[in-house]
Amino acid sequence: MSDILTALQNVFGDPTVILVVFLSAFFGVFIGSIPGLTATMAVALLVPITYWLNPIAALAAVVSMVACAIFAGDIPNTLLRIPGTPASAAYANDARNLTRQGKSNLVLGSALLCSVVGGILGALVLMLLGHQLAKVATAFSAVEYFWLYLLGLSCAVVVSSGPKLNGLLALIIGLLISTVGLSAVHSKARFTFGIAELYGGISFIPAMIGLFGISEVLKSMLSARRVAATERSEVDSPQELQARATDHESRTSVFGSGIKMLSQRKLHVLRSAGIGSLIGMLPGAGADIAAWVSFAVSKHFSRKPQLYGEQSIEGIADATTANNAALAGAWIPALILGIPGDSVTAIVIGVLLMKNITPGPDIFTKQADLVYSIYVLFILANIILIPVGFAAIKVASRLVRMPKAILLPAILLFCIVGSYSLNASYLDVAVMLIMGVLGFVLERRRIPLAPIVLALILGPMLEERFIQIITGSGGSFAGFVDPQRPLALGLASVFALVWISAIVIGIRRKDKSNIKNQISK
Amino acid sequence: MHRPSILVLSSIVLSSIVLSGCNRKDTFPNRPITFICPWGAGGGTDRISRQLAFQLERQLGVPVNVVNATGGGGVTGHSRGARARPDGYTITMITVELNMLHWRGLTSISHEDFQPVMMVNQDAAAVFVRTDSQWKSLEELEQAIRDNPGKLKASGTAFGGIWHVALAGWLTNIGLEASDVTWIAMGGAAPSLQELMAGGLDIVACSVPEAHVLLKADKIRCLGVMADRRLPEYPEIPTFEEAGVDWQVSTHRGIAMPAGVSESRSRIIENAVEQAARSKEFLDYMENTGYGVAAVPSQEYARFLEETDKAFGEVFAGPSFQGLRHKYGPMLFPAVLSGLLAICLVGCIVSGSLSRISERQDISRTSLYNMSILIGCVVLYVLTAETLGFVLSSAVILLVLFSRMRVKSYVAVPATVLLVSLVYQLFAIGLRVPLPRGFFGW
Repeated sequence: MSDILTALQNVFGDPTVILVVFLSAFFGVFIGSIPGLTATMAVALLVPITYWLNPIAALAAVVSMVACAIFAGDIPNTLLRIPGTPASAAYANDARNLTRQGKSNLVLGSALLCSVVGGILGALVLMLLGHQLAKVATAFSAVEYFWLYLLGLSCAVVVSSGPKLNGLLALIIGLLISTVGLSAVHSKARFTFGIAELYGGISFIPAMIGLFGISEVLKSMLSARRVAATERSEVDSPQELQARATDHESRTSVFGSGIKMLSQRKLHVLRSAGIGSLIGMLPGAGADIAAWVSFAVSKHFSRKPQLYGEQSIEGIADATTANNAALAGAWIPALILGIPGDSVTAIVIGVLLMKNITPGPDIFTKQADLVYSIYVLFILANIILIPVGFAAIKVASRLVRMPKAILLPAILLFCIVGSYSLNASYLDVAVMLIMGVLGFVLERRRIPLAPIVLALILGPMLEERFIQIITGSGGSFAGFVDPQRPLALGLASVFALVWISAIVIGIRRKDKSNIKNQISK
Repeated sequence: MHRPSILVLSSIVLSSIVLSGCNRKDTFPNRPITFICPWGAGGGTDRISRQLAFQLERQLGVPVNVVNATGGGGVTGHSRGARARPDGYTITMITVELNMLHWRGLTSISHEDFQPVMMVNQDAAAVFVRTDSQWKSLEELEQAIRDNPGKLKASGTAFGGIWHVALAGWLTNIGLEASDVTWIAMGGAAPSLQELMAGGLDIVACSVPEAHVLLKADKIRCLGVMADRRLPEYPEIPTFEEAGVDWQVSTHRGIAMPAGVSESRSRIIENAVEQAARSKEFLDYMENTGYGVAAVPSQEYARFLEETDKAFGEVFAGPSFQGLRHKYGPMLFPAVLSGLLAICLVGCIVSGSLSRISERQDISRTSLYNMSILIGCVVLYVLTAETLGFVLSSAVILLVLFSRMRVKSYVAVPATVLLVSLVYQLFAIGLRVPLPRGFFGW
């Protein structure tokens, strides 16, 4: 108990810490809302500055920046359908379609408050159970990861809109694209056509900006020109929708809709936060998979599953809760085992070591006040996110009301610079463009784009695990269902269940529509 | 106003704005320096690079921006560093992979393409097992490998990476085959250690600082370090030498410039790096994080690189390594995927799920024209940014798009100026992204 009090004093007793939390929150929201700028990059930029800060203030900067960046990814995702961070890609379509109907305040309000609640719940779960949960993380070997990744990928197919077969097709296309470059396992070049730059593979951030952002810009060019050519707006022209949207917007407030959403979905929020913290805790899984799995679980238990992947506000709320809840989780293996859950916590371990704090199992006994301070910081950062996020929503909503003729070129410029800035590589800009055209073509064929993004992220990891298991077992497939690894078996059966239920539902729906057709005939 | 005149006018306006901000002196350096790190943000190389960049900034008085040019097991970053303009404005953190990649035929870049500045870090390889394992010493582990060839699983990095070479070299040195321990390729030391804890591996080979936390927590045991003497930071760990094995492997990291930088400039950089690497802050950082300090000046570093390169050449050309092939090749996974793709495509075609949403969305000729302009703009940017610089290229594509969208020129020109300068300030100055610098330096 006294540790918690010390932690509170550490955080609230020091005005620098509060100031740092505030500034980092603004920085985080800013970084998160520009596609291409990642939280990792922002944390890396912060590191030299942390040299002068005391450990608590240094951690405060990282915690508050990351928590705010993940929420801020929802802002461009909602307004422009460009996910600011990969963790938002799961519901890019839903958010955009709802915005088209003039419900952007509803989406952003729900996303903001759900992120806040998710983040706080995630911190609480780990504060109470962290030490026990760390044991689960050490039980995950290559086989468990393999099934977890497959499960995450399946979720992306299950939640996609339209025919599931198309979702599967998108997934496989994504996985194939992810094999370009040097294979992680063998360091042998594949599909690189002798271009050394391609050895690094297709980075998923420019690909994501292209698939969602550029293809959306291309689509807008399609409709914008038509309006200008005929000199009169058609029934469903974007301009008219925009006008209707503004009309609707003025009647729904950001906070009102968010609070309403939260009060209606108390249990769902708890469930999503639980999923988020569990998945977030596994090194290498993180907020991206958490959002997808939570979205899929939400769809499974929803009364309106047909809306998911199209315009489901419930899905958005659950996914955004989970991705923020996952953030605190990643710190558990980092603090207790010194194994970073993601690149952000890898930097954090560096910061801790620099401050002469060695992560390890005894950190809870030796440095308990520090650990509790981290959780207090998580909670504080999420509370500060409310006003900062609200301001960001207001500013961003104002910005996107610019005339389309100015907005579209500006978006294009930001997409280019965003893709370039990740690695300072022109290849990334080219990847963005090619993916944009691909996304445009695929969408016209009703092939969903979100599974491609997840496949690009998880593809190399899946392959690595696949080869590792098969090498370890000497070429036999028994290695995938090792009876000595009950956790792996459990994950494999959940994977099987997901697919069996998806197929059964698919067949049943087809029967129903057949019957309907016959009746109408 | 005609379109060309808009372009000319706006270029003048833009250049006057940008140029007014900088007074170009003939001193070196007078603009930001790009510091290429061939490995990802958060890893050991990245952390050391950023720490050093921070110190360098104070020495040189200009921003030093770390760029993570990752991928290809180090090929991307090292190639970009070697091929950069030798004007002193690009420096690279080269790592041991520079001595390995070209022997494996992955790149033609070698240490000869670089002009070494200073080595800053060197860490020896070590062998780790779980604390609850039965092997208490190197001899016991060796016996276990002899008794069950091919049964024990080890990792630490990808197939053919530095730690793999370290372990395979040890095995050959004691008269075993490199394949007597099954190497499971992993993404690096961190996932390998996690796998070791989860029971998927028996042995991990990596440097001691990478395993620092688990070692301190007594979760893993270090059986020996491949150095000629015990590490000052970890005096309790025995060396391989003590066990009668003459085998040493270490990673090294250091600063280098592309070959051909003028002498006056390289002297400035060398002095600055030397000051930075010997600064108290940097040394404190290295000590606290457990990295081995090795401040080796340029000439000695060049000799060291040459020797290391020769040694790796022998390792890779040796019979032991030549016979070592990964059983499950790089095309296995793509082949499986292609099979799945074929099945899925057939399914899609049979069920007719690939039909278009609606005929209303047909692309007219004008919109096709529009889209190709947009695509052309991006292509134009990619092609011209390196020579024209970010400011001019982006201004040109914005103006083209604005004029296509029928924005009046009195709106388009100020909007372009505003957008370009905003983005430039934001990314290049605020976020330290090295935007393309053309001929004029902007």
